[in-house]
Amino acid sequence: MTRKEEVFERVEKSILDFDGDKAVEVAKEAINSGVEPVEVIERGVRKALETVGKKYETGELFIIHLAAAGEAANRAINEVLKPEIEKKGEEIHFTGKVLIGTVAGDIHEIGKTIVSAMLLASGFEVTDLGKDVPIETFVREVKEQNPDILGMSALLSTTIPVQKDVIEALQKEGLRDKVKVMVGGAPVTQEWAEEIGADAYGVDAVDAMKKARKLVGA
Amino acid sequence: MVKRGVKGKELRLLSDEGVEAIHNAALDVLRETGIDCYSEKILEVFEEGGADVSDKRVRIPEYLIDEATKKAPSKILFCGRDPKNDILLEGSRIYYGFGGTPTPLILDHRTDEFRRPTKKDMIETTLVGDALPNMDFIMTNAGVFDVPYEVEYLHELDVLFNYTEKPILYSAPGSYLARKYLEMGIAVAGGLKELQRRPFITLYSEPASPLMLTESQENIIEFAKANIPIAIGPMPLSGGTAPGTLAGSSVIGNAETLAGIILAELVNPHAPVIYGGWGLTMDPRSGICAYGSPEFAIGANTITAQMARFYNLPSYGFGGCADGKLPGPQSGAEVMMNALVAGQSGVNLIHDCGYLAGGMVGSTEQAVIVDDVVGMAKRIVQGVRVDDDHLAVDVIKEVGPGGNFMTHKHTRDHVDEFLLPELFDRNSFGTWQSRGAKETRTIAKERVEEILKEHKPEPLGQEIREKLSKVIKEGKKELITKQKEAEG
Repeated sequence: MTRKEEVFERVEKSILDFDGDKAVEVAKEAINSGVEPVEVIERGVRKALETVGKKYETGELFIIHLAAAGEAANRAINEVLKPEIEKKGEEIHFTGKVLIGTVAGDIHEIGKTIVSAMLLASGFEVTDLGKDVPIETFVREVKEQNPDILGMSALLSTTIPVQKDVIEALQKEGLRDKVKVMVGGAPVTQEWAEEIGADAYGVDAVDAMKKARKLVGA
Repeated sequence: MVKRGVKGKELRLLSDEGVEAIHNAALDVLRETGIDCYSEKILEVFEEGGADVSDKRVRIPEYLIDEATKKAPSKILFCGRDPKNDILLEGSRIYYGFGGTPTPLILDHRTDEFRRPTKKDMIETTLVGDALPNMDFIMTNAGVFDVPYEVEYLHELDVLFNYTEKPILYSAPGSYLARKYLEMGIAVAGGLKELQRRPFITLYSEPASPLMLTESQENIIEFAKANIPIAIGPMPLSGGTAPGTLAGSSVIGNAETLAGIILAELVNPHAPVIYGGWGLTMDPRSGICAYGSPEFAIGANTITAQMARFYNLPSYGFGGCADGKLPGPQSGAEVMMNALVAGQSGVNLIHDCGYLAGGMVGSTEQAVIVDDVVGMAKRIVQGVRVDDDHLAVDVIKEVGPGGNFMTHKHTRDHVDEFLLPELFDRNSFGTWQSRGAKETRTIAKERVEEILKEHKPEPLGQEIREKLSKVIKEGKKELITKQKEAEG
């Protein structure tokens, strides 16, 4: 095994161990030893996430493992690898870029967090805006980050209309055509998604991941 | 003529030390970490009440918890529109409730299709709940989704007020909807005094996990002010919004419920509250809230009932709910388990009967099946009577060896000792075959149709119905204006 392969393996293992601190540490070591950060992502981070995804499909690992591996991977990417790649003026190839959040007035975000984990494991770059996200924040972040997909969740029938408000605000700002919009949450249905002009609705996390892949043509 | 519920069995899975440990852990969390309140109104109440408030974080000292739980009444008379449906929440008496909060889907008993429920569906499900003999209070197994989201709750309340004479337990998130819920209740009761004397509505308020109260919980303030009962029950999910253990989830559930109770008692000392300090479970594999799991059954009922007894408060639990997607083997086993555990635990209000698919689907067909299951659970909890008459030694001596007891008067006199199921088939095999060899689901569907044809609860007077319609009309106008203002 070459030294490079050893590095990839250590990155992969840290994620498979769900160890975010370790993932950051070995990613730094990789950079210090001169390995290309893009390669670390593709042959270390992504390989680990693929393994986790496969093991989730076969029932060997659970959603909690998927979420923990996703978090570890995200830390290695965001804290170490991405800044390095940007320094070099290069780009990381993701399945797609997703901006996701729970709408204003709603703080029930566990479903959205599960979807984020699923998308991360599926190779997406995910920016999670958290809960109780104001309409203006969604609009501003879409403008600044230029994601492929905007995902919005709502659990309450009192907050679900906000999904519509966000879509309307995107229209007003001339941003609606620049981003695909996905909606989810217990009271959301396909009909609601169509009514408010969303591009897709995910009935659960796996469905959301499949629909997201379809939207970006992956 | 209060319906005094069967006394549950006070099943103990926690030792006294265990109960105290969960209490102490919640005190620790409330004092050190505190809760976040996403509501100015709620923050104000806590601040004035003596809690340590900084920004939206509220840290609650022990004395506030002790005072609140001591002030809250230990018994609540929860009335029906018809007094024969009144239930008394005290001690370990058990009562089962039809449905829960609105389900986004309904299993159509006519077409076997899962679809979005309409107002007509909710009317039908409410009629079924009102008719089922073992359902003691009413929530819902549908939701009204053929109206704008803003007025969904108003239409749902309208259905409940019109189509059941049993006690109504329902949500109305936020202060506006809570006031409307009260306004409708007052219209039906004929005045606030009348409603207070015979509260036939109770609010369900659900703090958000972990450790948050939002504008939704402003409904607690409204109901406390009106002195109408409030059931507080958060839904912490182990491994998701709570630690991945049942005890840890119970600490979170207890802390959130206590925070809600303190809010109510600070607004109105002695406000009637019902304790639902649930420690619930997330399936770690799929991430769904696992209504049918054994841990859910004991977290929602046994631990809750034990904690409620510790605080001397009426309690709120779950039963008759399933993760199975269809009526059948899985959902049947799940509902029997949690309905029986709830009864054995002696938790007062046992809700969610008829839920399928982890609360995503309501089903009248399932609800009539659950009603029979609940009958069995109640029967088991009743136990065995042992006295001279029931030991029947005289009868045994009279009939003697080799005789039979079929024709003895004693047998006829005690035929009530045996619960006869409304739905489940106990015919001989031959009879079952000759009557069409029907599957349970078929019988359940027929029973739903029969109820819908025959069951007619006493309608509300014309004037009251008009008042309710007016609330909806005004609500629609006000909610849409409010939204416009927010946008403008």
